[in-house]
Amino acid sequence: MVRGLSEAGHEVTHAVDGAYGLMEAQKGGFDVYVVDRMMPRLDGVGMVETLRKDGDQTPVLFLSALGEVEDRVTGLKAGADDYLVKPYAFAELIARVEALSRRRETGGVQTVLKVGDLEMNLIARTVHRGETEIDLQPREFQLLEFLMRHAGQSVTRTMLLEKVWEYHFDPQTNVIDVHISRLRAKIDKGFDKAMLQTVRGAGYRLEA
Amino acid sequence: MTLPSLFRRTPFRLTLMFVALFAAAASAVLAYVYVASASEARARAEADVRREVGVLTAIYRERGLNPLNQALVERILRGGPYLYILLDAEGEPVTRSLNITPVEPRPDDPPERWEAFRFTDTDETGRIIRRQALGVMVRLQGGELLFVAEDIGDTEAYLDRLTQALWGAMLLVVVLGLSGGLLISRNLERSMSRFNTVVAAVKGGDLKARAEVRGSGDELDELGAGLNGMLDRLETSMASIRHAGDAIAHDLRSPLTRMRAKLEVALIDAEAGRIDANDALQMALAEADELLKTFNTVLAIARLQASREPQTEVFDAADLAADMAELYEPAAEDKGLEFDSEIHKGLMIRANRPFLAQALANLIDNAIKYTPPGGAVMLRARRRSSGQVEFSVTDTGPGVPDADRARVLDRFVRLENSRTEPGSGLGLSLVAAVAEAHRGRIYLDEGPGVVDDTGPGLRVALVLPPAE
Repeated sequence: MVRGLSEAGHEVTHAVDGAYGLMEAQKGGFDVYVVDRMMPRLDGVGMVETLRKDGDQTPVLFLSALGEVEDRVTGLKAGADDYLVKPYAFAELIARVEALSRRRETGGVQTVLKVGDLEMNLIARTVHRGETEIDLQPREFQLLEFLMRHAGQSVTRTMLLEKVWEYHFDPQTNVIDVHISRLRAKIDKGFDKAMLQTVRGAGYRLEA
Repeated sequence: MTLPSLFRRTPFRLTLMFVALFAAAASAVLAYVYVASASEARARAEADVRREVGVLTAIYRERGLNPLNQALVERILRGGPYLYILLDAEGEPVTRSLNITPVEPRPDDPPERWEAFRFTDTDETGRIIRRQALGVMVRLQGGELLFVAEDIGDTEAYLDRLTQALWGAMLLVVVLGLSGGLLISRNLERSMSRFNTVVAAVKGGDLKARAEVRGSGDELDELGAGLNGMLDRLETSMASIRHAGDAIAHDLRSPLTRMRAKLEVALIDAEAGRIDANDALQMALAEADELLKTFNTVLAIARLQASREPQTEVFDAADLAADMAELYEPAAEDKGLEFDSEIHKGLMIRANRPFLAQALANLIDNAIKYTPPGGAVMLRARRRSSGQVEFSVTDTGPGVPDADRARVLDRFVRLENSRTEPGSGLGLSLVAAVAEAHRGRIYLDEGPGVVDDTGPGLRVALVLPPAE
């Protein structure tokens, strides 16, 4: 994991257990904590609770072992921002870590999102690409909003199902792909540059 | 069985306690009977003596000392239950039916002085016997003393016999009680042994051991039936776990083998420069992901079936159904299916949201997967008049033959005509497991009928109890 994250261009500090992790975290300077639920000395829930009590708002991605799906609620309650069940695809981990680290930068309430010539007005709930107004269904609007907020990053199908539809299950088929292709037809069709791109082995990325 | 170990046996201890209790009760009864009979005999004797004294003093009062004396002599000669003593004013005996005066007159005697005493008599065979008597001494007007007593020896003998009989009975109770206790103890020991044997067998690993139930309906039978029920449940659970393990091993073996073969071929092809190694790796990854999914699903089913209550919340299932319809409609339309939903409002339910979502997703996904293009898929959610919430997915696909309907709920069962489609054979098993974990049911029926020669279609309904 350390190698993978480093190769993806991130600076990684590895802590062997919860207590050591807490010590490292208290030194500060991190964008995201990736915390395993089961750790010696201090478990993940305890560590995150302590951090949150100390006022540390750094985003936390919780990892838990296969079969502990029901612990998701416990993890999120303890103060984690996202949750990933092992085993996961590495692309999934990277995508989530990047989504979390980005989230911190976008502080403040935005009313207009802009990616290239694509513009979304969150108040009027309208979308324009250049001069053309694009008519979206409510869910397509939410989908595009999420993609725009994470523009330039890979987002996985699972992330979309979790963040846009707010469901945690295996949809069996390519349902998300079908929604994406409908959205793509609306925002990219008739334009020179295709913004909504498929990232092989990971998911999708909205590029300016 | 040694004596000390016998005392540790519950039935024997109970018997002992019971015998002791009975002995105490018998003693109490005995004491009561004795006291009651004795006091009654005494009261009767007292009344008799009083009457006799009354008659005699009347004679004395009306006719004087000599007629009284005469009357006494007559009575003594005639025989009877009474004993008499007449002393003159100086205390010298005048007439008496007893050899020894049982009472010494004292100056401070009250007008009447009652005395219980024993005297010696001879019975019919001439044997000397001591008898019990109760008498009263009365001072007459002329200073003479009249003593009249009644022989109450008969009553005493009766009481003695009674006491003896009761002691005998008590001895019998103790002897019978102890041997009865021993017998019951032995018997119960034998009855318990059928349970002990079973427990020992199960401890030794034989889960098939069962206690004999005799059909007598007694508490031992109840215990036996309970024990057997527990063992049945345990055996089913164990079998289910073993089955799940076997199933996982079985189902993971073929995709693992497939993946291995593909990787091998890919390696040969890549070395020969025929294909891109990247493609082979992508394919292997996808295959591994499928495996993990299967593994996850099997685990989820096993957990649901182990009756570990899923974490539940109360929510509106109408929203969930609407979300599912919205999520799957484009996929259905892409395949050329007509997708429709009919969702009633306000379907509050207590359930595990992710599991229920997964169950509905599996039903819709199956319907889309097996219905040929041109067909239709319909999702309905409604409240039955009983209050239960019913989700149903109807399609116009080939359907499931009657004979296979129960079977398709089992793990890894895939019907012949479905083998061409991707899938693990776990979809409906998971729905069934979700239904069971929520104390609900799953029903498989024919769909709307034959459309375009594709078959009768299928209607799967998931019925869950309402939120309480």
